[in-house]
Amino acid sequence: MIYRKRGHTIRWEHGTRIEVTESGVAYEEGERFICEPAHASGMECGDRSHRFDSLRSGSVPRESGGSAAEKAVTAVTALQTAVVERWIAVEGIAEHEYGERTWSEHTQRLHVALTHKRERALIDQASFDTTHIQRIAAALARCEPEREAPPRLRLAENVTAALLPTLLELAPPNVRVIQTAGGIDGKGEDIVEAAKEWPNWYRPSYRIRPVKAPLNLRLECEVTELDPSRPIAIALLAPVTGLTLRVLVEDGARAYPATVRVTRIDAVSNERTWYPYGAGSFGAEMML
Amino acid sequence: MHFAIATRDELWLRGRLIEQRLSHGEAFHDGETIVATDARNDALVAQCDAAMDELRRCVIPELRMRLVAEARLDGMTSTITASVGGHSIVTTPEHFERDVQLVWSAATAVAAFPHREPALPSLPLLWQNGTAAVLLHEAAGHAEEHGQTPILPPWLIVDNPLTLRRATFRDVPLPRMTNLVARQRGAPFELPNPRVEVLLVDSGHYEPLTEVVTLRIAAADLVEGDASRRLPPFDFVRHRGAIAFLGATGDPLRYPGVICSREGQELVVGSHAPVMVTA
Repeated sequence: MIYRKRGHTIRWEHGTRIEVTESGVAYEEGERFICEPAHASGMECGDRSHRFDSLRSGSVPRESGGSAAEKAVTAVTALQTAVVERWIAVEGIAEHEYGERTWSEHTQRLHVALTHKRERALIDQASFDTTHIQRIAAALARCEPEREAPPRLRLAENVTAALLPTLLELAPPNVRVIQTAGGIDGKGEDIVEAAKEWPNWYRPSYRIRPVKAPLNLRLECEVTELDPSRPIAIALLAPVTGLTLRVLVEDGARAYPATVRVTRIDAVSNERTWYPYGAGSFGAEMML
Repeated sequence: MHFAIATRDELWLRGRLIEQRLSHGEAFHDGETIVATDARNDALVAQCDAAMDELRRCVIPELRMRLVAEARLDGMTSTITASVGGHSIVTTPEHFERDVQLVWSAATAVAAFPHREPALPSLPLLWQNGTAAVLLHEAAGHAEEHGQTPILPPWLIVDNPLTLRRATFRDVPLPRMTNLVARQRGAPFELPNPRVEVLLVDSGHYEPLTEVVTLRIAAADLVEGDASRRLPPFDFVRHRGAIAFLGATGDPLRYPGVICSREGQELVVGSHAPVMVTA
C-alpha cells in the first residue's frame, strides 16, 4: 500500500520566514521502508494521478492562519521580562492518501524557550495563543532561588501534557492513561479509544516508517475537583525525565524553580487541551 | 541566494537494506524570507547515486550502518554512521576500516563489564585518538557559537571557522562549525600516572546558560604504571572554566566525525586534536 502526502508550511524562526511546499510517497516492500519525493518516482502519474491531483488545492490560509502566527511571533518577541532564547511558529496544511482513504489536517505549533539568569522555560503548544507564555515570562523574571517542591502542588495542563507519555508505564493505580478516539492515523484508520495494545499507527512524516503507538493520550481520575489555592507549576524548566520534573512554581506573588517527583496524583481536571508531545497528549490540570 | 541539495540515505541491519530514502529540494533566500520546494536537480541526484554505490561497498553485516550521500551545489559528502553494542562512530569510506576497529574494540571490551562501576576518582584524563576535539567542540566551539569567549591556555590554538550552514532545504542557515582543528604550540607535556585514557566519545552537550560541558565517554582505560584496564562508559561533566588544560603533544589527530545537532539540524563537523592532558 502506498502512502502519499502533500504539504505546505509557513514557519517563522528567529526572524526568518520560511515557506516550504513538498510532496512525498512512502511504501514498504517486505522489511524495507522506502520514501522519496512524489515526483521523483513518478508516483503522481499513472492511474492514481487523478486522485492526487485533487489534493493540489491545499495551502496555508495566509489571511487567517498567517496573521495569527505573525501576531504570536510579535507578542513573543516583544516580551520584556525574559530573554527569548528560541522561538519557532509553524502553520501547515497537509493532505494525505493511503489506499482508498484521503484526509487532510491543519496544524499550528509554537515552540518558545525563555531564559532568565540560569533558568530556561520550555513551551510547546498547538495554538498561537500567547497568554500563558506571558504569564511564564513574568514569573521567570521574579524567580527566586530553587526551593523544595510544596507537598501539595498543582501542575498546569502544559506541564502534565509533557508527563503523559511517561505515565503510560508508571501511572499510579488511581489514574488511567487512555488513547482518545478521533482523527485518522498514519495508515488511514480511525483512531479509536484504547488503553493497551495500541491499535493505531503513528506517522509524523512521510520520511519516517510508521509504528504502532498510543496517540492523543489523556489522563482520567475519579477525582476531578482541584484546590485552586495550591501553588501551581506553570512551566517545565527541563525536559521530563521519568517521573521527575523540574518546574517553575508560582505561589501567589512568588515564583521559584523546584524539582518534583510524581508519586501520587490526587485529582485531574476534565478540561483538556491538546499538546504536541509524543504522538499527541491532552494536558489537564493535575493536583499532586 | 539559491541553495539546492539531494540526499540519499540507507539503513543497513545485519547486512540487509532496511530503510531507503531519497530527498531533494531547493531554497531561495531573499532578505528574511526563504521559499523552498522539493524540486529535483538531476545532476545532484546522479552524484548521490554514484556516491551511494561506493558507500554500499563498505557494508558489513556485524554493524548497524547508516549510509548518507549528500550532494549540494558546492560539493559532495559521503558519511557512514556505524554502530555496535550501543556505540557508534561517524566515518567516511576512506577512513572506514581504521575507524570501525576503534568502535569495535570499544564495544567488545566494554561488554566485559555488565555492571556500572562506582564513580571514578578524579584522575587526570589523557585524550587519545583525537578525542580532545570533541571536548573542544563543546567547550570552545559551542561556547563561541553563543558569543562566549573560549577559555584556553596560550599553547592551545583552536581553528574553528563558523559558516552559515543548513541541514536541508527546509532549514534556516545558521552559523555553525565546519571543521575544528586544535593545535599545540610549545605545550608542556608529562604523562600522568595514574590516569584515565579516553579512547572513544559517544556524545557531547554544551549548556550555554550554565556553561557546563557533558560528554558521554564510550571507551576509556584506567592506567596505573604498566597495568591497564578498560572502564565502563561514564559521563564527564564539567564547567568549561573548570577544565584544566595541563598539556599536549604531537600533531592533530583526526577523530571520526562528529554529528552536531543544533536547532534540530544535524551536521557533520570535522574534528582534529593532539593528544592532550586535562584535569
